[in-house]
Amino acid sequence: MYPTRGDDDKLDSLLQAYRAACPDREPSANFMPGLWRRIESRRNFTFSFQRMVRGFVTAAAAVTLAIGVYVSLPRARPAPEVSYLEALADANTLDTPENVGPVRLELNEPGR
Amino acid sequence: MLVDFELVRRAQQGDSAAFNEVVLAYRKRTMGTIGRLIARTEDVEDVAQEVFLRLYFSLDQLRAPEVFEPWLYRLTVNAAYDYLRKQRRRPEFRMSDLSEQQVMMADAVAGGKVEHDQQQKKKIRETVDSLLGAVSEADRVLLLMKEVEGLSLRELEKIYRVKENALKVRLFRARQRVLKAFETAERKNENG
Repeated sequence: MYPTRGDDDKLDSLLQAYRAACPDREPSANFMPGLWRRIESRRNFTFSFQRMVRGFVTAAAAVTLAIGVYVSLPRARPAPEVSYLEALADANTLDTPENVGPVRLELNEPGR
Repeated sequence: MLVDFELVRRAQQGDSAAFNEVVLAYRKRTMGTIGRLIARTEDVEDVAQEVFLRLYFSLDQLRAPEVFEPWLYRLTVNAAYDYLRKQRRRPEFRMSDLSEQQVMMADAVAGGKVEHDQQQKKKIRETVDSLLGAVSEADRVLLLMKEVEGLSLRELEKIYRVKENALKVRLFRARQRVLKAFETAERKNENG
């Protein structure tokens, strides 16, 4: 069943009646203050968000710069290429008492 | 235009007083359009504020004050559409969902308080709202902008930024669906 021409006209009349049933309406007294409150609230949120983003970007840039500087600096004291035991012995030569120090063999000693 | 271009230009440059004047000039008409698009009187003011809020933060994107009205209509259409979509996700109890007996009882109670023509208008609003349930929110808004707001296809083309022919096809299909729903309702009335 297809809509007829009569239905078409009736629908037009109904839509026109709908226009009349929903006239332009007066806003309440609270409309403008409410609108400005919403604008201020959105503006504050946007401002805080922008500040937060700006702070985050600055901090990220600073950290990146610091890492870049750290990585690009030449090593002042390159790691010594010695074994652990040699390094330990070198580190303890001055303070180590005689009896725990490395054993020395005096081959010229009389009686040997 | 309800305001002159110079006022729009000043509002665009951040003049709050000029923006205020623009809102004062357009708010009644905008609220009327929203009322017809969403058919919920209690939420009209809230949606209208949303329209002007969006206007405030998007005025700098307006190319020329000459296209201010289509721009405002565009914001109105988008806000109404967003509202209708939200409403669909959050279904509420509406008169069109009631049984006939419940409607008669509600009418009888309301009859003592509301005048006859007010009741008639309410019935028309409910009928149209119910018929428009046959189409999507987007088509509902488009159909109302054309048939009830009386905008021409050329004006709609500016608002929607869609070719006139595409709008024609969409409008035709939407109208056919509504007509079908209308015809079904008519037959139901005749039989019942």
